[in-house]
Amino acid sequence: MEVGPRVEAMHSEPISATVPHEVQGSDVVVRTGGLTKRYGSVVALDSLDVSLGGGVTGLVGANGAGKSTLIKILLGLLEPTSGRARVLGHDPTTEGEAIRRAVGYMPEHDCLPPDVSASDFIVHLAQMSGLPRTAARERTADVLRHVGLAEERYRPMGGYSTGMKQRAKLAQALVHDPRLVMLDEPTNGLDPAARDDMLALVRRIGHDFGIAVLVTSHLLGELERVSDHVVVLDGGRLLRASATTDFMVDTGTLLIEVIGDTHPTARMAEALRAAGLDSIPRGQLLAIEPPPGVGDRVYDVIRDAACDAEVGLVRIQADHHRIEDVFNLDTPSLAAVEGELSHDA
Amino acid sequence: MTPESRSGVIHDLGYRPYAGIRQAEGRIALALFVTGLRNAFGLGRSGKSKLLPFILLGLNLLPALILVAVMVFTNLDELPIGYAAYAGQTQMLLSVFAAAQAPILFSRDLRHGSIVLYLARPLRSATYALMRWCSLTVALLIFLVTPIVVLLLGALLSEADVVDQLTEAGWAVLAAVLLAGMLASVTGVISAWSTRRGFGVVASIAVLLFGYGMIAAVQAIAYDEASDRVGEYAGLLAPYSLYRGIAAGVLDSSIDAITPPSGAPMQALYVAVALLVVLGGIGLLVWRYRRAAAR
Repeated sequence: MEVGPRVEAMHSEPISATVPHEVQGSDVVVRTGGLTKRYGSVVALDSLDVSLGGGVTGLVGANGAGKSTLIKILLGLLEPTSGRARVLGHDPTTEGEAIRRAVGYMPEHDCLPPDVSASDFIVHLAQMSGLPRTAARERTADVLRHVGLAEERYRPMGGYSTGMKQRAKLAQALVHDPRLVMLDEPTNGLDPAARDDMLALVRRIGHDFGIAVLVTSHLLGELERVSDHVVVLDGGRLLRASATTDFMVDTGTLLIEVIGDTHPTARMAEALRAAGLDSIPRGQLLAIEPPPGVGDRVYDVIRDAACDAEVGLVRIQADHHRIEDVFNLDTPSLAAVEGELSHDA
Repeated sequence: MTPESRSGVIHDLGYRPYAGIRQAEGRIALALFVTGLRNAFGLGRSGKSKLLPFILLGLNLLPALILVAVMVFTNLDELPIGYAAYAGQTQMLLSVFAAAQAPILFSRDLRHGSIVLYLARPLRSATYALMRWCSLTVALLIFLVTPIVVLLLGALLSEADVVDQLTEAGWAVLAAVLLAGMLASVTGVISAWSTRRGFGVVASIAVLLFGYGMIAAVQAIAYDEASDRVGEYAGLLAPYSLYRGIAAGVLDSSIDAITPPSGAPMQALYVAVALLVVLGGIGLLVWRYRRAAAR
């Protein structure tokens, strides 16, 4: 779990298109080179180069970005059209069995038979992973405790809530004590409280259990919270791979919120323009890019503008990048991200 | 916090890594086979899923018990029904059993998506399909062989010739293996393609029973018209007519086949077609689950 040092290294290392976010030494869990998968004319993965280390790695992308295809290839269930991959030092095309022994997989879709209890089903699946029956029983009791399925573990799974089903699905992925788990959209369909629980659990698996985690989501904000690293896929291509902290650096932009009668935000924008500051409305807020060399005097300018516009100043806040921003490069306020990306490339 | 001190905390949190035995593919396959066999009889599943298989098993055994009782009390020294013929008489029960239990082994994992959880584990999709087929075949074999054993015990109690009886029962078991394999292949393939349970059951019964009904009708007409060859070729088209043909023509068991295969080439053809049904079914099942893996 050497998350700290590696995150540190990420900042100084440039990301190149061919060798993105190089993870060092024995810590590499997954590495792909030129990995491509085509279905007829559809390109699901387009010469993907990525390496993933320990801890929690978020795999972000819209639906159809190639997340599930990548997981299936890594499990050795799909043959790549070209390129290569290594999972825990094994080649998925020839050593799929060895990989599937050491990897746990939680699918995105429903995969639980309704007429069996979680306990019985997971004992069976533990045996299918090679555990002898008694060990399978012990491990099942253990992981069900860790994912927080209590008495309901003895009831048929057909009666489970979505949250309980997701926990059972997670438990089966962990029962054989894998070295890597791939969790495909584990928070799908969960209410906010259950979502938080699941994310906490994902983080615990990566950090306390010592199991490398690859977790996918199309809800990007989630991954900010639990991932040490984020890989962004878009249309089967690597958009960006980096430490999570890189995504959230201070952009230098200031966000301003004002209150007052009749269109306070518009009046504030006008007053700012009069003072020589261009602003861009963002929801209820105004975003301004302080010109270089202005320094802290910008706050005085904003305060005076608020006085001139006769609006109440609620807050001035430094803007941070969020992972979403990578997807919204056309948004003017995010030109900085684009600059950073092209610098990286 | 350094990584070292952090990993010290990990153990306090109670996650225990597993350092024990991880079994080879053969043992995993065996575990899948045993679970499948138990599931075919409703064992390890809900209480009411045991009802149908055990009622059918009981009904299937009942005539044999009655026959043996009659034999013992009336001092018959010969079985009123042949070992191989028994399955012909109870083929209705056998068909319902095969049709109802095949979807449990072949449709459930596809319908509920749990096949993905198997395929993400060490077993290859082909091994999975083969083990499922073995589970159903052995379940059907248990269904077919228990009455044979009861009849054999009855015959031995009535002081029938031991060698004769053992030989005939042995041939009947061999024919039963072939029938069980054919039924498992046919119902397995139907179930693996019709993941809606009701449809699989109905389609299996239709193919097995009505299929045989039609073949039997054709054979009867051919027999009346004294063109037995037509009936013999028609018999190649249904598992039950193949079974009867092989039992009567090849194994010389006492079973009523309307137009049993006559002549070595035709008999060989019957055996070859029966084996083709068995192996072809396995091949299709392997292909079906391999496709499921790539989806």
